This record gives sequence, structure tokens and C-alpha cells, in this order.
Amino acid sequence: MESLLLEPFEADFMQSGAAAAILVGILCGTVGCFVVIRGTALLAESVAHGVLPGVAVAVLVTAGTSGDPDRAAVLAGALAGGVLTAAGTAVILRRTRLRDDTATAVMFVFMLALGVVLISRVEGFAVDLTAFLFGDVLSVTGWEVGLTAGLTAIVLALLWALYRPFVLVSFDRRRAASLGVPVQRTELALMVLLALAVVVGFTVVGALLVLGLLIAPPAAAALLTRRLPAMMAVSAGIAAASGPLGLLISWHFEVAAGAAIVLVAVAAFAVTAVLRPAR
Amino acid sequence: MTAIATARGLTVRYGEVVALEAIDAEIPRGRSIAVLGPNGSGKSTLFTAAVGLREPTAGSVDVATDRIAYLPQQMAVDPMFPATVGDVVAMGRWGDLGPWRRMSGDDRALVEAAMEKLAVGHLARRRLGDLSGGQRQRALLAQVAAQDAELLLLDEPFTGVDSPTEEAVRDLITSWRDEGRTVMVATHDLARAARDYDLVLALNRRLIAFGPAAETCTEEVLAATFAGHVARVGDLLIETEHRHPGAG
Repeated sequence: MESLLLEPFEADFMQSGAAAAILVGILCGTVGCFVVIRGTALLAESVAHGVLPGVAVAVLVTAGTSGDPDRAAVLAGALAGGVLTAAGTAVILRRTRLRDDTATAVMFVFMLALGVVLISRVEGFAVDLTAFLFGDVLSVTGWEVGLTAGLTAIVLALLWALYRPFVLVSFDRRRAASLGVPVQRTELALMVLLALAVVVGFTVVGALLVLGLLIAPPAAAALLTRRLPAMMAVSAGIAAASGPLGLLISWHFEVAAGAAIVLVAVAAFAVTAVLRPAR
Repeated sequence: MTAIATARGLTVRYGEVVALEAIDAEIPRGRSIAVLGPNGSGKSTLFTAAVGLREPTAGSVDVATDRIAYLPQQMAVDPMFPATVGDVVAMGRWGDLGPWRRMSGDDRALVEAAMEKLAVGHLARRRLGDLSGGQRQRALLAQVAAQDAELLLLDEPFTGVDSPTEEAVRDLITSWRDEGRTVMVATHDLARAARDYDLVLALNRRLIAFGPAAETCTEEVLAATFAGHVARVGDLLIETEHRHPGAG
């Protein structure tokens, strides 16, 4: 039994992968609570795919149409793409009075299509695209684990520092304004944190599945807890545990690692929903 | 005595729709004021402009205090929102505390007093979403009370609440006024407006009348406010067309 659980992690790439997955789990599990309580899952999905054009530009600039892209530049480009998606959605909403989901979806497909157009300029783009969509947790290097740890710490620190304004705008924007919260700036800050979580997350589970870590653990935690601090702790725990568990499944059954991690997270939600349905 | 809020030529348009037009009014301190008008008469717009949530298209509204509390109409709180009644009421203190300062003994006392006043103390550990409509409205009002504001704007606080809650809210408004706070309540309840408040501000996009309740609630003013939708039944004036609650 012990060998089944521990032996896989003797390999270096499994250790770095597990470390990265745990960090991403803590980050997405925590930030995702705000996505769930604000009901902005579609926006989170849109930001996750909106990183694509940023990645494409970074690849084109640092690697030209062939060669190896600079991984730091890819992260920076991804972050810019994610923030641009969120900001663009906010601008559409302010100018048109369309419904939230319509404005979000328009920006979503625009960024996705733009990303695919840009990335089709890159030779051998099929390979890059697969890594982008599904993540490449087992190729994470030591310095990337360090970077992930640093970004996770920064996001959690910001979340802690701005916890009250974030809770108030999530509770009710008008009540928040009446309590002196600068609503638009606070929502922008929350968007940037979401984009950071997405960017850190997509290197591990990919842009298609990062939403899984942002939604499934908080959804499970919402059914198990009544207060936000507890929800965030339980959610982070579930998401962090999904990482190594998913890697074990991936190792033993020879299946895709990122998808296995997300499946574990969704399984945790399914079990919770069956055992603790909403009253 | 200086006004706590002053509107000068206050005009708000939503695209083509005029919500408020050229409102001039000085709101005196320490009074309870019914903002009376049918749905769509600009009551909510007046409040959101005063709080700064809505930019005037023309004119201005100046509030002479930053201690202003606003309770929106029929707040739709997500039933799964992860906060207990105690948490929700305590959030009323966060405006004064800012993002970082810890709750002091005084803050806790204000929260306790607010919960007691609205009879939600026994619900402190329940999740907000698990409460009945009336209990939830009382919890939200307790949050507003904990804010310890000088100017309170309540938008249709009696909509969809049970009668014990209605009574509790009426007592609360009176006690706030007695403490020297200014309370403005948006309502379309004619009879109550004339009886329960010091002043009545009759609104139908334009300011129809503003003054002591007894003098303001004349048949003429009410007819202009409700644009013909009032009828006299004995001594009572009755709003004959009761429209669905919506954006007011």
C-alpha cells in the first residue's frame, strides 16, 4: 500500500509536479470562493481562455515562429491577456447595459478566436496548444515551483489585506458603496487576483481545466460550511489534496495528469453534494 | 440649522428616460422624511444619487456627512452566501474600521445593540440565507443600524415583510429620529406617510411638494404625485392603481 502511495513521488518530476499542484490548489481553492459567492463562473472561464492571446504574443515575441519561448514571458503575457479579458468585459457592460453573461461571452469568444489566430502563426503550434489547454504539470521545473509559491503568497496576502472590501462587494455592491468601499476599484482588484490565479493554475492543469480547481472545491466547501473563512480553508484543503491524489491516479493508470487532478476535485464535490444536499 | 443634504437642480437620466428632473430640496437634520411617490417616480434614483452610486446628469446633490447608510430595495441575497447573521451585522462596522482595524469593544457593543433592537440576537449563528423574508430584512436593517450613520436612506423597507417586522422597523425609524439622526424612507403608502413621518417629500420625477406631513398630503399634491391614481374614500386617500414593485 505504502509503495503504491509513496513510490511514485520518488521521481523528481513527480515531486515538483506535486508541489506545484498543491500550491495551485491552495491558490485556486481560495480565490475560487469569491468566484462562487459572486456567481462569476463564466467570467472565470472567460479569463482562463483570455490568457491565450497573451501567451501567443509572448511566444511570437520571444521565440519567433520557431524555437523555445521564454517561460516567464509566457506567464506575463498570460496575465496581461487575463486582465484584458476582465477589463474588456467591464467596459462592454458599462457601455451597453447588456446582460452580464452576454458581455462576458462576447469577450470570451473574441479572446479565444484572437488567440487561435495568433498562435496559428507559430510553427508547430499544435504542441504548444496542447500544453496550454491541458497543462504540463510533470514538466514543471524547480524555479517554476518557486515562482508559483511566490505568486501564491502574493495573492493570498492581497486577499487577506483586502478581505473586507472583497466580502462587501460580493455581498451587495450598493451596501458596499454605502460602507465607503470604492466598488469599481475593488472589483478590478478582485479580477486581477482571479487572473493571477488562472495564470498560475493553467501551467499545471491547463486553461481548459483551471476552472475545475476554481469552482469544484469551493462548491464542495459551500455545502460543508456556513462562514466564508471556513469555506476558504476547506476549499483550499480539498483543492490542495486533489493535486497529489490526481498525480497518483495519473501515475498508476497512465492518464493525463491535469485532468486527473480536476477529476479528483470534482469527485470531492460530487461526494459532498450526495452526502450534504442543500437544505 | 444646516441641511444634512441639499439637492440643486438635480437631474438624472437613463439614456432617454428622465428619472429625476430639476429637484431642489434641503433635507433638515434630525427629522423622519417619507419620500412618497409611485413606482418609477425616482425615489430609488434620489437615494442612489445621494450615496454617490449614480452621477447626476445635471445639477448636484451634496451630503454634509460621510456617515450615510443606504438600504437598497428588496436586496436579493444569495441563499448560499457564507455568512451568519452575526457576520452580516458586524459587516456594518467595516465602513468605520476600514480594511484592517480590528473590532473594538465599542464596535461589538454597537453590533450587539443593533441585533437586540431588531430582535435577531437569537439568530446570530444562523446563516442569513436560512432565514425567512422578515427575519432577513431585520438582519439587513441591523447591519444598517450597526453602521451608526447620521443620514439613513431606506428604500421601501416594508416591502414583503411580515407585520411584526413592519412594526419593528417603524419603531426603529422613530428611535433613530429621536436620537437626532435623519431618516428618509421611500414608500408609496399614502396613509402611513401622512401619519408616521415628520415631513413628506412628494416625488414624481419632479418634486411635487416637500413639507410637514399634515400640510403636504393634500388631495391636490397627492393627485399630482400619483397622477390621478388616488381616490377619496371617506377621510382616506387611497392609491387606486397599485403597480408591481420594481425599480422605483
